[in-house]
Amino acid sequence: MNVLVVARWTLLEARRRRLLASGVALSVAFIVLFALGFALLYRTQQRDLLTAQAQGIGPPGGIDAREELLAMSTFLVVLGLYGVQFLAAVLALFLGVASVSPEIDSGALHAVLARPLSRLEYLLGRFLALAGLLTVYVVVMSAALLLTARVVAGYQPGDAARAVGLMVLQVFVLLAVSLLGSTVLPTLANGVVMLALFGLAWLGGIIGFIGSIPPGNELMANLGTAVSLLLPADAVWRGASFHVFPPSLLAAQSFTGGEDIQLPFGSTTPIAPAMLAWAVAYPVACLAVAMAAFRRRDL
Amino acid sequence: MSPTASAEQAGAVAGISEGVPAIATSGLRKAFGDRVALHDLTLTVPAGEVFGFLGPNGAGKTTAMKILLGLVRPSGGQALIFGRPPAEPAARRRVGYLPEHFRFQEWATGAELLDFHGRLAGMGAAERAARIPELLVRVGLEGRGGERVRRYSKGMTQRLGLALAILHRPDLVLLDEPTSALDPVGRREVRELVRELAAAGVTVFLNSHLLTEVEAVCDRVAIVSQGRVVASGPLDDLAGAVTQLRVLLDRVDRPVLALLEGHGQVTRVEGMAVTLDVEDLDLAPELARDLVAAGYRLYGLVPVQRSLEDIFVDLVGEVREG
Repeated sequence: MNVLVVARWTLLEARRRRLLASGVALSVAFIVLFALGFALLYRTQQRDLLTAQAQGIGPPGGIDAREELLAMSTFLVVLGLYGVQFLAAVLALFLGVASVSPEIDSGALHAVLARPLSRLEYLLGRFLALAGLLTVYVVVMSAALLLTARVVAGYQPGDAARAVGLMVLQVFVLLAVSLLGSTVLPTLANGVVMLALFGLAWLGGIIGFIGSIPPGNELMANLGTAVSLLLPADAVWRGASFHVFPPSLLAAQSFTGGEDIQLPFGSTTPIAPAMLAWAVAYPVACLAVAMAAFRRRDL
Repeated sequence: MSPTASAEQAGAVAGISEGVPAIATSGLRKAFGDRVALHDLTLTVPAGEVFGFLGPNGAGKTTAMKILLGLVRPSGGQALIFGRPPAEPAARRRVGYLPEHFRFQEWATGAELLDFHGRLAGMGAAERAARIPELLVRVGLEGRGGERVRRYSKGMTQRLGLALAILHRPDLVLLDEPTSALDPVGRREVRELVRELAAAGVTVFLNSHLLTEVEAVCDRVAIVSQGRVVASGPLDDLAGAVTQLRVLLDRVDRPVLALLEGHGQVTRVEGMAVTLDVEDLDLAPELARDLVAAGYRLYGLVPVQRSLEDIFVDLVGEVREG
């Protein structure tokens, strides 16, 4: 019950601080921009290919015009969702960093925690409200983007639900770790640490990607995995991006030996089950450590 | 203020029985790293009492209060409110608190803040709807409940803090420097509020370094200095057996001081006024006669009770020097 009271209060705060209004405005702008760009590029490319085909000049390498268009659409959709996950990730970090420590610093928490409210209930209420907000954000933004691609190009991702689900998981990972930081570190220090961790996870993803380029470099791939264990955010996004690729394209890719659609910010292989398990356990572990640390903290 | 009144009110809450003190601490100790904020604090506040907790800045008053609310974990010793450790959320159900810095979520309106705290305190919707407007009037914030706390002045914010502290009709109210941001009128209003609470059987634990305020409302006080209780008891007892006489003369010279020393102990000479500690006020007529007989003109001879401030300065000064 108290958890819900705190969650409700947290949502009111998000509304009052104009977080929702500005978030919605920026996100609408992002989706509109994506839709315009996507439609424009798609139509131009489509027209060029059809003209070339009509004149009997096939595209280089004899690839089918439809496949060419699909590869381009995929590239744009993955890029667009990469933008969505990046916005959501930054939002999750900001919300997490601002969740507890500013209230401790200002002293606003003293009166609240003097109530018959346990610190566990307080943290859970904060986490639930913010996680809910972020989930809605990720789902609405991804759905809008995928729907745009579908309407313009008839684009069908491999598994939209799994892709979005993993993106939500990524946001939980980031929110939980920054909330943990918020219970033990001052706001600014936590912000710096979280940004560094986030950057490191991104770098880990890139290192792993480079390690995976044929013929492959095992040391780099392992290094990438090790960094991802520290903060499995980028790894989960890569897992999500796999489900964005249309199966036909992935089949063609394995047929052509993995060329053409290697993207540095996406992955054409699914997330390893062990990494997925770690990513699910990670927010739970962060919250558990946050509770333990916060319970002992003097205010 | 009778114990029965508070017991009746408290009776609704499980675990609170008659005779259980509102606050009991024994050997309470808190160290922040090397700095010891509280040494061995032992005190008992019976239910229904208005208790003044006095001390200079940095004496450990706020730390003690935070321990009583479960906000700070003691390094040693024990604290109980109505017989239960304050770290248990349920133990805080009947407690109201005004924090020293009275900082609240500034993005919210006063009424929203009261509503949030009402929910946390377990008040139902109907109860909150009735109580919140009434409280806003009570603390002088009528018509301002819809404004954001950010726009409130310091005094208004402290008034809101007082409303939060008494929102759910608690049995124990802890007020940490409740008048620090208020003007003289506001201070008087807080004194009235404390008296009202006391009349309703509520226990009030008041942290303050404003001694006149404490003198005006408290039944008993404890004076802390450097984390220890240096004196405690009913105000009258603290004022002590020593009584003073203030003598106003036409001149103060060596012979008159010798004469006065014969009747008591001279503690202060300010111009033509001499303050004298005496055993008994009954020697005043005798002293007057002796002074006049010695050729001094006597303009005034007034008995003064030692003020709380005198006691405070004596005790705190002793500790600092020691």
